[in-house]
Amino acid sequence: MELLQQLTFLERGVLAGLIIGFICPVVGAFLLVRRMTIISEGLSHITLSGIAAGVLMSQTTALLAFINPLYTGLIFSLVGSLLVEKLRQIYKHFQELAIPIILSSGIGLSALLISMSTSSYSEWYNYMFGSIVTVNLNDLLFIFMTGIIAMLLLAAFYKELLSISFDQEFAFTSGISVKKMNFLFSVLIALVISMSMKVVGILLVGAMVTLPVAASMQFAKSFRQVVFLGILFGEAAMIGGIFFSYFFNIATGGMIVVTGLLLLIIALLINKIKKIMNSYRLISSRKEIVK
Amino acid sequence: MIEVFFQYDFLRYSLYTGLMIGFLAPVVGVFIVVRRLSMMADALSHITLTGIAFSLLLGRYYPFFAGLNPVYMGMVFSISGALLIEKLRHMYQYYKELAIPIILSGAIGVGVLFISLADGFNNDLFNYLFGSVVAISETDFHVVIVLTFLVSLVLLLFYKELFFLSFDEEQAVISGLPKRSLHFIFMILVALVIGISMQIVGILLVSALMTLPVASAMRWARGFKQMFLYAVLFGEVSVITGLISAFHLDLAPGGTIVMTNIALLIGSIALTRKRSL
Repeated sequence: MELLQQLTFLERGVLAGLIIGFICPVVGAFLLVRRMTIISEGLSHITLSGIAAGVLMSQTTALLAFINPLYTGLIFSLVGSLLVEKLRQIYKHFQELAIPIILSSGIGLSALLISMSTSSYSEWYNYMFGSIVTVNLNDLLFIFMTGIIAMLLLAAFYKELLSISFDQEFAFTSGISVKKMNFLFSVLIALVISMSMKVVGILLVGAMVTLPVAASMQFAKSFRQVVFLGILFGEAAMIGGIFFSYFFNIATGGMIVVTGLLLLIIALLINKIKKIMNSYRLISSRKEIVK
Repeated sequence: MIEVFFQYDFLRYSLYTGLMIGFLAPVVGVFIVVRRLSMMADALSHITLTGIAFSLLLGRYYPFFAGLNPVYMGMVFSISGALLIEKLRHMYQYYKELAIPIILSGAIGVGVLFISLADGFNNDLFNYLFGSVVAISETDFHVVIVLTFLVSLVLLLFYKELFFLSFDEEQAVISGLPKRSLHFIFMILVALVIGISMQIVGILLVSALMTLPVASAMRWARGFKQMFLYAVLFGEVSVITGLISAFHLDLAPGGTIVMTNIALLIGSIALTRKRSL
């Protein structure tokens, strides 16, 4: 605690970024194998309306002035994840409709709330696109706590989550409650989104969850490697993004995502070159056989 | 309530544009939803943001782009985004669904970068994100009319092909439909509709106008054609209520339009509880 208080604003931001760069890809790897990466987009958009609601409440009612928008954002994204499950049941034959519905209603609600509130636009832009210099001590603590909770949850249920991700039927027959695990998963995603938004921005959280894992997929040969390489790419994107954004004075979230995107493109290129080399080797070895 | 919309030119333009959007977006939306591409609309609308940001950035250095409506650059970006998604799908053969989140989140990231370089974090950006009642100028309005006509014409011409492709892709391909070029034409249509609609509804909310009315219509319709009817009905109702309330309450029209849609959707789900889909 003492140690945290001594940090300068920039150190706080970097520390927060490092924690996020670690946890986002880990959760992202599970989302990837469950083919649910898109849910992070839906939930992050509904977190925005939670934030807007929090800001509006603290502005209009003196009693609620203590509310930190981060917490209302967390609550909204939890509710959102439950709604997604509900909508999946309602539209049984068009399950993929659930996420766009949640996504757009989240944004619609936030548009309303934002235009009702009196905050300046720049404050909203900080929430939407992230800003590293606005991370205060409370936010850092929030990020720290949610990070630890997320890691504990992951460690405690690692086996169950893994088995449910790879073989839902097997998991079910071996007595794992799929419903409970799904709920746990939603809680995890909601935690990750609300902890990352201060640095990366709500509209860009999805990128932190997807891009590093997509890049690590190009090299990894097992699930563990996906996770480890994902963390590596995530941290690299974080550090690179923060560095360049500070250097060129560009919005942090944008730069982090662009760095992640560059890493992904490089990974794709390397893989492509490898494939071409392999096929070339194949052709030349065949030629030798023909000779 | 509505008289004021006929008093002023700029309001009249946005009302008429709104009516056209309320027709176009749900019609294209029906095909999108039935072809299970609803996330695609979101990805394309987010990449439109990148195009707009790019155009704003260019406008700072080249006077030509400063005079150009950024929406056109947005349309170009969203068409190339559609192509990129197809490309990524080939690259991630076992995780095809990864293509959309990559493009969606990457697009916003690049967009933010452009906006930040153009010093564009201001009032205008908010109008692009969440829509504005007064965004339509006279030239824009004329472009919107032409594009609406064009999109409807193409949809009419290719109705049978798109219908076939939506319901039985394999059969359609076997009977010789050029799936790829049809898909490409369809994506261009979607990009155009996003470009038209975003000026009023806002980029982040365009896809809502494509999916939500259709999601409500699905609860009522007993056939494909009925789905169009209901979807357009819901779309128009939401646009009209949304625009009027946005103007009188001084709110972002994108927000009011989408919230009306949500209300309609909740109503539809509640009223058609017993039906199973």
